[in-house]
Amino acid sequence: MNFSSSETHDHETAVEVRNLSVRFGDFYAVNRVSFSVRRGETFGFLGANGAGKTTTIRVLCGLLRPAEGYVRVAGVSFDQGEQAVKSKVGYMSQKFTLYDDLTIEENLSFTASLRKLDTATYMRRRQELFDFIAFDRPLNTIVRDLSGGTKQQVSLAASLLHDPEVVFLDEPTAGVTPASRSRFWSLIRKLAENNKTVFVTTHYMDEAEQCDRIALMREGKILALDTPDGLKRSIFPMPMLEFDPKEPLSFAEISEMATHEVFMFFEPYGLRFHASFRSEDGWEKVRPFFEEKFTIRQIKPSLEDVFIQTVESEVA
Amino acid sequence: MNRTLIGFIRKELTQTLRDKRMRILLFVMPVIQLTLFGVAISNEVKNIRLAAVFDSRDTVLRDVYERSIAGKWFIPAKSRAHDAYTMIEAGDADAVLVPPPGGFTRALGRGDAHLQLLVNATNVLQAQSVEGYLQNIIQQTVKDDMKLTPPDFPIQINTRVLFNPDLETSVFMVPGVMAMIMIISTMVMANIAIVREKEMGTFEMLISAPVSRSEVIYGKTIPYVLLGMSNLPLILAVAVFVFQVPMRGSLLLLLSAALAFVCTTVAVGTLISTYCQNQQQATLAGFLFIFPMIMFSGMMFPLENMPVVLQWISYFDPLAHFLGLLRNIMLKGGETTYVATHIAVLAALAVATVVASFRRFHTTLE
Amino acid sequence: MKTFVWRRAAAVSRKEVLHILRDPYTLGAALALPVFMVIMFGVAIEFNVKNVALTVCDSDQTQSSRRLLDSFGSSQYFLLHGVPSPYEAVKEVSAERARAALIIPPRFEKDLFDGRGAEVQMLVDGSDNSTVGPVLSYVSSIQTIASRRIADYDPPAPYDLRTRFLFNPELNSRWFVIPGLTVVVMSILSILLTALTIAREWENGSMELLLSTPVEPLEIIVGKLAPYGALGIIAVAFVYVIARTVFGIPFVGNLAVFGLGCLLFLMTYLAQGLLISVVTRKQTIAMQLAMMSGMLPSNLLSGFIFPIESMPKFFQYFTMILPARWFMTIARDTFLVGSSFFELSGSFLALSIFCVLMILIATRRFKRDLEP
Repeated sequence: MNFSSSETHDHETAVEVRNLSVRFGDFYAVNRVSFSVRRGETFGFLGANGAGKTTTIRVLCGLLRPAEGYVRVAGVSFDQGEQAVKSKVGYMSQKFTLYDDLTIEENLSFTASLRKLDTATYMRRRQELFDFIAFDRPLNTIVRDLSGGTKQQVSLAASLLHDPEVVFLDEPTAGVTPASRSRFWSLIRKLAENNKTVFVTTHYMDEAEQCDRIALMREGKILALDTPDGLKRSIFPMPMLEFDPKEPLSFAEISEMATHEVFMFFEPYGLRFHASFRSEDGWEKVRPFFEEKFTIRQIKPSLEDVFIQTVESEVA
Repeated sequence: MNRTLIGFIRKELTQTLRDKRMRILLFVMPVIQLTLFGVAISNEVKNIRLAAVFDSRDTVLRDVYERSIAGKWFIPAKSRAHDAYTMIEAGDADAVLVPPPGGFTRALGRGDAHLQLLVNATNVLQAQSVEGYLQNIIQQTVKDDMKLTPPDFPIQINTRVLFNPDLETSVFMVPGVMAMIMIISTMVMANIAIVREKEMGTFEMLISAPVSRSEVIYGKTIPYVLLGMSNLPLILAVAVFVFQVPMRGSLLLLLSAALAFVCTTVAVGTLISTYCQNQQQATLAGFLFIFPMIMFSGMMFPLENMPVVLQWISYFDPLAHFLGLLRNIMLKGGETTYVATHIAVLAALAVATVVASFRRFHTTLE
Repeated sequence: MKTFVWRRAAAVSRKEVLHILRDPYTLGAALALPVFMVIMFGVAIEFNVKNVALTVCDSDQTQSSRRLLDSFGSSQYFLLHGVPSPYEAVKEVSAERARAALIIPPRFEKDLFDGRGAEVQMLVDGSDNSTVGPVLSYVSSIQTIASRRIADYDPPAPYDLRTRFLFNPELNSRWFVIPGLTVVVMSILSILLTALTIAREWENGSMELLLSTPVEPLEIIVGKLAPYGALGIIAVAFVYVIARTVFGIPFVGNLAVFGLGCLLFLMTYLAQGLLISVVTRKQTIAMQLAMMSGMLPSNLLSGFIFPIESMPKFFQYFTMILPARWFMTIARDTFLVGSSFFELSGSFLALSIFCVLMILIATRRFKRDLEP
């Protein structure tokens, strides 16, 4: 397991989690997880479905009681009651944060009433948010008639309406066009510039690259936590190479190569292969042999490589 | 009032009234139910097919038959069969009068007149009424035709029907229908509303804000109390002006009773919703509740006849209490003790149910 | 005309059975409902009113007046309790503490023995339809009895009316109601369950999956409806068994005739449920429509409790388009009257027509719905 060494315990910590476990019957959805998030940080949670990401977020938002562990969000700990936590955070859930049969305005004004914002504050915040998002749809459109991208924008506005310090976004870009996705992430960057702490779960590796730090989660545990570059460096101390076959290979040849002792990592990547070796010397010995069959160049490891390697090694 | 509560009420009402199907349920269904119950169904005995076996010399029996047909209860039976039993068995007649051999008139003269009446007793109430009506007609006809005037009974029991002297069916049925209509728009809707949020996932969004249990529960129930009460003026107007049901009590009293009832049914709907995960279960549960509620309300069957154990169930049936209140207020003017007692019971039921809902409700996901 | 493959239909059936078995609520409701209903109706229903609360104001307080009270009290129909004044007596009725009030004037015995004829007043609560009729008829018989007992008034009757109550000689309310329950139970089950099944498949998208396979529409219909048909038959069987064994209701007709009626009715209602499912495509709406179009008519307009003869002419004709009405006749008649198939041919004809019609409409609509 790899951990970043920066753990601060003062008011600069937006989220602090120690030994958090969440149990459903005998099943541990979250298993003794610990981490902390700094204020203003964009923190990414990566993992397959069922890994425990959504469950963790729900605990941090005050929606679920942990079975055990210490949780502190925006300076409020769970012992003080979940209502205290809820008032400090914004939450955008995986789907249907909005009422399909109400208009944009009705949805937002309902959210305002839930957050007990008075009318003046609500109108002001709404305008600020619309400027922030550059939102220009007519307010009396029924949400059902909006595109996915617009719905997500409105959802984000709803979760930020009460100006929380910490915002939790659970797969905010699922099922949305690539253009909308990148627009959304530019919004997240703007939020970070305003010193908001953003906690995001995602499936997309390219999005994870944009986080300050990411945690890889699997089966309720955190396998790795670091900045994207830090992860790449620690998982792949040796350079990552790309192998482009000069001629098509047989299955037997590929499996022989994949299991070659020189490699600590050898995975297909589209039509090519990514590989990393265990030691320089070992590699230099076999290098000519491979250079016959492949065009080889050095590349930077991707997060996908990091992910696969971490998961494989955990399984192994 | 609480800002969150107002927001809730506005949202619920907007959602409900915007949905065309809900509007139909709220406003069209009542009309259908009123028509059905107020007009179509009744227990009144009418259109009974009567046959009598007589030949032309049997004047008394012929008179009996003709008098019966002329009245509002009997119509002539048409049958190809020749014996009384077959006529009834084949479904051609409901009642047949069979004179002794030689005819009823002749037997009367002889002094040993046995007149047989065969009645299809499948429908018990009907059969008894038929016997009663025919007895009266026969008695009157015999008296008139045979010029027998027995002295009057020494003891005369004069009956007078209070509150509904014409025995109008609609006066019986319409209050019950009013109650039933209000149940649908309160209990069923409140139930579905909460479950729908859970099913759609918006519930999660809701409780991610620091709302208290009270705010959610009241936010979800008060709109339907309002909706239920909004139903009342329309159906009351129809009851009074179209069906001529009297309104002898004070409007204020009626409104109080209605308010207590509506609060109770909404509370019950809310409690049921805490047990349901999706709308299908919710609707099924709603139906499973309404059916016994109607059964034990006194609307279809007399409560006093049920075994005592089952009568106890009716004490927990809001519909039974409200029906009693409606009848008492509209037809009898509203007797203070009775009205107060039953409104109090409704209020107690409402409170108990709401407390139970609170217990089962969490502002966290479990 | 494409071929109908039984095996594919059977596969659809098997899947449907698994759905049903894995949904304990639905299954429980389906099996428990008929049992519950029969028992409830059997135990709770009694149309013959007894123990009517009667307030009595006896202003005479003589032996005759007490004997009159006794005539009322010794019958099982009335429960007496006394009040001091006529005003009080009426108040008891207003306050729902009594259903009738008997007011005996102060000169009762004197008038009786003077030969002037004594009058007493009986006030009956007209707000409750279930008690008024019976009370009025009790009163007339008590008048006769009391006259005979107290004043020795027993004129020779010029005639004697002998009533034979056919098919239900003891006037047992249960015999009337419970055979009708077979109709009600079946209608509830079959419509409710089928109305939901297809709508549910559209709602969660599995219908499109089903349609991408070589399965034919007719196979889907037969396959889906068969399990619910079986459930309906089982439910009726429950009702039948309980009716016969627990409540002792006779069955003098032909079981085959009844069975045929059941089958026809079941198919009609299954088809109707299918139609509702197809038309609405949403479970909640399907259920509401099922209740309004299926259960309400079968409970209220079929002659189950409220006789069709008592309805206004318009509604009497209207009920002719309700399958429930025809099956109600068949059910009641086979239980209590023992009618033959020939005698019920009118009902069977009507039922068959509706059955075929409903199946045709439902099938056509289903097929048309599948066109992309």
